[in-house]
Amino acid sequence: MRILRRWRHPASWSIFRLDDRLLLILIAVIVGTCSGLAAVALNRSLIAMFEWLHHFRHYWWSFIMPAIGAALSALFLDKMVKEGAGHGVPEVIYSVSRYGGLMRFRSSFSRLISSCLTIGSGGSAGPEAPVVMSGAAIGSNIAKLFSLNDRQRVTIVGCGAAGAISSIFNAPIAGMVFSIEVILGEWKAVNIVPIAIASVAGTEISRILQGNQIAFSHRLFHIGHLDIVACIGLAIISAVASVLLTRLLRSMHGVSKKAPFPIWVRAAAGGCAVGIIGIFLPIVLGEGYHPLRTMIEGAYTQGLGIVTLAVFAKILATSLTLGWGGSGGIFAPCLVIGSLAGLTYHRGLLLLWPSVPWVNEGCFALLGMAGLISGMLHAPLTGIFLIIEITGGYEVILPLIIVSVISTTLCHYIEPVSFYLKELVEKGQLLRPGTDARVLSDLSVQELLEKDCIIVKQNMLLRDFINIIKKSHRNYFPVEDEKTGRFLGMIHLDDIRSYLFNPLMYDAVVLGQIMDTDVKVVYLDDDLSEVLRKMDVNRLFSMPVIANRKFLGMISKATLLDKYRNELMVQTDL
Amino acid sequence: MDAQLFHIFRNTPLGRETLLQSIYFCKKVGASLIIYIPEFTKFLMYFENDVVQIDLDNSYLTSPETALKHAKELLDQGKIKARFLEPKNFTASTLPDISTNFDFMCCPRSISDLSSKIGLGYIGPRVRRIVNSARFPVLITSPVFKKWRSIAVSFGGSANAVNALKLGFRISRASEMPLSVYTHMENASRESYEEIIKNENHEEEMDHYVTEWHMFERGKFEENIYDVPHDALVVLGAYGHGLIRNIFFGSKMEKIQSTITNNLLIAGPNYGLGQK
Repeated sequence: MRILRRWRHPASWSIFRLDDRLLLILIAVIVGTCSGLAAVALNRSLIAMFEWLHHFRHYWWSFIMPAIGAALSALFLDKMVKEGAGHGVPEVIYSVSRYGGLMRFRSSFSRLISSCLTIGSGGSAGPEAPVVMSGAAIGSNIAKLFSLNDRQRVTIVGCGAAGAISSIFNAPIAGMVFSIEVILGEWKAVNIVPIAIASVAGTEISRILQGNQIAFSHRLFHIGHLDIVACIGLAIISAVASVLLTRLLRSMHGVSKKAPFPIWVRAAAGGCAVGIIGIFLPIVLGEGYHPLRTMIEGAYTQGLGIVTLAVFAKILATSLTLGWGGSGGIFAPCLVIGSLAGLTYHRGLLLLWPSVPWVNEGCFALLGMAGLISGMLHAPLTGIFLIIEITGGYEVILPLIIVSVISTTLCHYIEPVSFYLKELVEKGQLLRPGTDARVLSDLSVQELLEKDCIIVKQNMLLRDFINIIKKSHRNYFPVEDEKTGRFLGMIHLDDIRSYLFNPLMYDAVVLGQIMDTDVKVVYLDDDLSEVLRKMDVNRLFSMPVIANRKFLGMISKATLLDKYRNELMVQTDL
Repeated sequence: MDAQLFHIFRNTPLGRETLLQSIYFCKKVGASLIIYIPEFTKFLMYFENDVVQIDLDNSYLTSPETALKHAKELLDQGKIKARFLEPKNFTASTLPDISTNFDFMCCPRSISDLSSKIGLGYIGPRVRRIVNSARFPVLITSPVFKKWRSIAVSFGGSANAVNALKLGFRISRASEMPLSVYTHMENASRESYEEIIKNENHEEEMDHYVTEWHMFERGKFEENIYDVPHDALVVLGAYGHGLIRNIFFGSKMEKIQSTITNNLLIAGPNYGLGQK
């Protein structure tokens, strides 16, 4: 029985407790493998679902297929696994920022199933964000099994996300960079090593099960100086498309929330609208990898007008799918919109300057993809490395950097935070390590309590109080009710100085008469940022902490600064 | 005692009984009451090494317009003040995070999980996970409001039973109510149980707080529970034995809760960790 009990707690196995870094690397292999498997499972399921539903696409009623898929997806999330809709990446970032990467076990499979239903039926969304959430949740739960601490768990959550992205795109560097740039937000060796290992494990799983294929192979591009200059225009178009997609997604979400219908009805309505758009422009349906390959190969035959229309249609379809309750991510739609934007721009250039030997339009499609990813996620490195890896070509690196960097900068100017972080920032819930908000959130009122105050009673004579002052090294004295022990107010020596130097008052005044009853107080569950704000507004250096109407202690700026500094040193490894 | 009890209010007659029980508990042990009136049927509790999603049934959202009024009426009747908790953080828009910095949490007792059986039902996996992860004990109330006038600690000798015993001392000290200890002897002698108490340095507290120590050498565990007074607060430890033993032989916690209708106070394996 004892052996079995030990078997249940791998954290206690001596092999795993030899060295913390070794432990993290071993767990990273496990997590990278599991998240890689999850990504392959979703990929295969999507292919199977596409093939199965393909036979029904030519029927007139096929426009309701995305509606059925989105409704089933919403019902599954809401009724069966009881999770909210959406792509899940903000949830991963939130858990990393606030709760040391703790995530529910159900998240490791819920988004895989729901996104498969949404995307497989024709909804305009991508499978990448769901596998990120799934991989992250797998990492979190494996970290729990090994009883890792918060910082180690966060790294392992990053490993899960990296393994998933690496596996789904067969792109280990992109997975690694995405995880560090977007999910964790801190570049540290202690994170990089396990995440790199997990990326390799995830990629290897994908290669074993699906073959070592480059997702979007292309011909060799000969990029001239004019093409590089023209990239600036493409970066601007990509930035505009990114901002448009971000805003439309959010506004659709807002409109959907106000609709007085159950979530599955809303999802069905969004899916139905996508299905109708898909009748006229089938490119908007599903994750869109097939048309993406055609565009990169330079074999997309539609004219400028249709391609331009397709950019807006895909943005609208993605907003309708995800904003109205469907499940999936924005990665693949970004790639499709980006490549469509690239094509539009290239055809516009050809129209204006037909004699210039522009590079093949497939190159602009690639650059547009990088521009959209970089603009939406505010993650230029992810955009650059992803495109290099999924196309297997290095020759586009210079224009790629230009488009990614300019697009990110312009988007940052218009939308200061990325799509993934916008809601978290608005709610004040993005707490990156080493930032003021994070340091304060990791401290609590309880741990800053100073309990060396002498509590006095309301009916105490001033004469008795003077004897107490002699023993105390503090200027503040909390006053409480003799019978109930309730906090009544404070006495500050500066406020009663006139009484102290008047001996006639010693036996005439009780503390209840001279105490300050209009005291700003702090409660145990108050946020320290709010406490500091109160102190600044009221020009206070310390405040009493109250619970259940009783005085618990004082909280002061000096103690807060001490603890703040210690916490900052822990978070920044100084 | 600056303790806090967390209570999720259900605006139904059953919820009223549960709140009355929480009010009574708070008054007896001098704890303050924190009430959460849910707006959604789910919320998350983040513990040190686990996150538990609590899925409430729809009855928790009954008549939200009267919920606050009803809760305040009960508080006024009980002459106790409470703080109403407003979640500050949300993992998702309909998924609030509830703090786990409490000293006690009240969970209502399930009536029955199986329609084919008549019984008190099961504690259920969600409450079990709270018990397993939390540093605070969980109060599982009787189906109807029932004052308790004594404390009965179920002591089986495990580490968690020792936790339960410490909790019993704490409740007895705060409420000034008599404390009895009940031990169902499982292939062990009386001396071995006394040895455990001695090793844990609780001899003095045993002498001070415990009025009676009932040792059952014969009979089934369920039969011996009959001797526990109907108006006692039963304090017990959970997860004293491993999962495998629980699967084969059943959980003591489930056995007790499905046999008696008393209020139960359950201390999990993490109870007391980090407490000064």
